[in-house]
Amino acid sequence: MSAPPDSLDPVRAELLRAARASADAVLERARADAGAVLREARATADAVLARARQLGTADAAAGAARERTGAAQDAWAAELAARGEVYDALRDAVRAGVRRALAEDPDARSAVTAAAREALGPGARVTATAAGDVSAELSGRRVDLSADALADRALERLGVRAETLWEPP
Amino acid sequence: MTASPPDGGVTRGGGTTGPVPVEFTGVRELRGPLVVVEGVSGVGWDEFATIVLDSGERRHGLVLEVDGDLAVVQVLEDTAGMNRAGTRVAFSGSPLRIPVGTGWLGRVCNGRGEAADGGPPVLGAASAAVGGAPINPVRREPPDEPVLTGVGALDVLTTLVRGQKLPVFSAAGLPHLELAVQIAAQATCGGEPFAVVFAGMGLTHADVAFVRDGLAARSAARELALFVNTADDPVIERMLTPRLALTVAEHLAFTEGRHVLVVMTDMTAYAEALREVSAARGEIPARRAYPGYLYSDLASLYERCGRIRGRPGSVTVLPVLTMPAGDITHPVPDLTGYITEGQIVLSADVQASGVGPPLDPLASLSRLMRKGTGPGRTRADHPALAAQLIAALARSRQVADLADLVGRSALSPADLAHLELADAFRRRFLAQGTDENRPLEDSLDRAWEVLLTLPRSQLGMIPADLLDAHAPAADEGAR
Repeated sequence: MSAPPDSLDPVRAELLRAARASADAVLERARADAGAVLREARATADAVLARARQLGTADAAAGAARERTGAAQDAWAAELAARGEVYDALRDAVRAGVRRALAEDPDARSAVTAAAREALGPGARVTATAAGDVSAELSGRRVDLSADALADRALERLGVRAETLWEPP
Repeated sequence: MTASPPDGGVTRGGGTTGPVPVEFTGVRELRGPLVVVEGVSGVGWDEFATIVLDSGERRHGLVLEVDGDLAVVQVLEDTAGMNRAGTRVAFSGSPLRIPVGTGWLGRVCNGRGEAADGGPPVLGAASAAVGGAPINPVRREPPDEPVLTGVGALDVLTTLVRGQKLPVFSAAGLPHLELAVQIAAQATCGGEPFAVVFAGMGLTHADVAFVRDGLAARSAARELALFVNTADDPVIERMLTPRLALTVAEHLAFTEGRHVLVVMTDMTAYAEALREVSAARGEIPARRAYPGYLYSDLASLYERCGRIRGRPGSVTVLPVLTMPAGDITHPVPDLTGYITEGQIVLSADVQASGVGPPLDPLASLSRLMRKGTGPGRTRADHPALAAQLIAALARSRQVADLADLVGRSALSPADLAHLELADAFRRRFLAQGTDENRPLEDSLDRAWEVLLTLPRSQLGMIPADLLDAHAPAADEGAR
C-alpha cells in the first residue's frame, strides 16, 4: 500500500529548488567575491611588495651612499693624517739639517752672525751658542737666527713645493 | 698658521732665503687679548704679527692701533700664559696674506685658517691678502644664471643668481643652520665646476659637528672648504674668518674658473665680534654700540661677490644672520638689507605650523631673480609661475585676515579657494625634508599643482598658452 500523494510535495519541491538556486547564487556570488577579494589582495600585495622594494632600494641606495661617503671621508682623513706626518717629518729633517750645518760649518755660523748684525746694526749684542744658535739684541729689538727658526722660515718659504712629498711625480 | 710672508715668497717659487724678521721685545702691557708693544717703528694698522713666547710657542695677532712708538696687538689665540718678559713680537709689514688654490678643497680649518682635520698646513701656489682687492666696477658683469639649491621654495620663489648676495634673515630658535647646511650640501650650477666655501662664525661645538656631518659628502667630493670659528674662539679670529673664506673663494672663482657659493653664518656673531674689537680700540660707539663703520665693514664682505668680465667663475654670497628678538630693524639686518640684493626670511609662525623649511614667501625676495630664471636658464614658465604664486599667496593672506573678521561663511568661493591654496602651498610645496634634494622640475610642477587649486579665472598673471599647456580649458568645467 502506497502512501497517498502529499499535496505539499510540489511546494516542497519548489522551495527546495528555490533554496538550491539561491544557494547556488550565493555560492556563485561568494566565489566571485572571493575571486575579487583575492585579486584585490594580490594586487595590494603586489603594490605593497613593489613599494617595499622601492623603499628598500632607496634605503639601500641611501645607505650605500652614506657608506661610500663615510669610506671616502675615512680614506681622505687617513691621507691627510699621512700628509701631516710627512710634513712634520720634513720639518724635523730640515731642523736637524740646519742644526748640523751650523754645528759643523764655521762659515755658516759666521754668515748667520753677520746677518744678525746687519739686521740690527753694528751695536747689536750677538749671542751664539755652541750648537750654532745665534740671536742678537739692540734696544728692544731682537733677531732670532736659531737653527729651528731658520729651518721654519725656510720651510714656510718652500710653500706649495712641499706638496711634492705626497703628490705623484 | 697658514699665513704667507708678505713678500709673496710662496708665490714666486724662488729661493728659500728672505729678510731677517726683527722682533720687538718691549712689551709694556698685557691686557685681556691685547699686547701693548713699545719701541716699534714702521708698523701699520691691521698689520699681521707673530708673537713668540718665552717657551718658544708662536701665536699670531693683528695690529689694532699704532701711536708713536706704541703698537696695540690683538692676539688671535689670546694672551693666556704669556708674560711681559720674554715675549717678542715680529710684524710682517703687511696685512694678513694666505695661500690660495684648490688645496683648500676638502679641508676643514679653524677660523684662522689652520688645519683642523689632522692634515698639514694648507699650501697654495699663490697667496692673496685676506682684505681682498676691490673689483674694478667697470669690469663687473651683472649676475646671471641660477645657482640651484635643491630647496624648492628657494629655487622657485627666490632664485639665487650667480654673483648675487642674498642673505637669510632668521631668529633664535629657527633652523637657519639646517637650511644653510642643506643649501651648501645640495647647491649646483648646472653641471659647471662648482665649489662651496662655508664660513661658520661663533658656532657651538654641537653646531660644528652638525655642519661637518651635513657637509661630509661635499667635502669628500673635494668641493668644499670649511672654516669654523667656534663660540669660544677669540673674537678677533671671528673677524678674520669670513675674509679668509672670501679670499679662498675669489681665487677658486676668478682664477680656477669655478662657480663658488660662500655661505657665512652667523653674521650677527661676526658683527658682535666687530663691536667687541671696536670697544677694545676705544672707538666711539654708534647704534646699539656697534661701530659707526658697521655698514661699510659689512659691505666690504658682501661686495666681494660677483662676476668679472673676461674671467670664468662667480662668487655668490649667502650670509645668514639672526635678528635679535626677531627685530628686523636691528642694525645688522637693517644694514645688511641695504647692501644685499633681496633676502630670504625665516618665520617663527611657519615654524610653529610644523612645516619646514619655515620660509616666509611674502617677506622673501630675490631682486635679481629675473636674471637667473626663464627660458634657457630654468624653465620658460618659471617667472610667470613664481609671480602668480606670490600674488595668490598675498591674496590668501588678505583673505585669512578677512576671515578672522567676518567669518569663513561670509567668504566668496574665490576667497575660499585662496584659503585652500595657502594650505596646499604649505603641504605640497613648502614642506621639504632637510635631506631631500628636490629637482627644479619637480618644484615647478608642485607650484603648478598648488596654483591649479584656484579657478583659471584667478590666474590672470600667467599667459594663456602656459595655462592651456598646464590646465586645459576643458578641465575648467569639471572644477
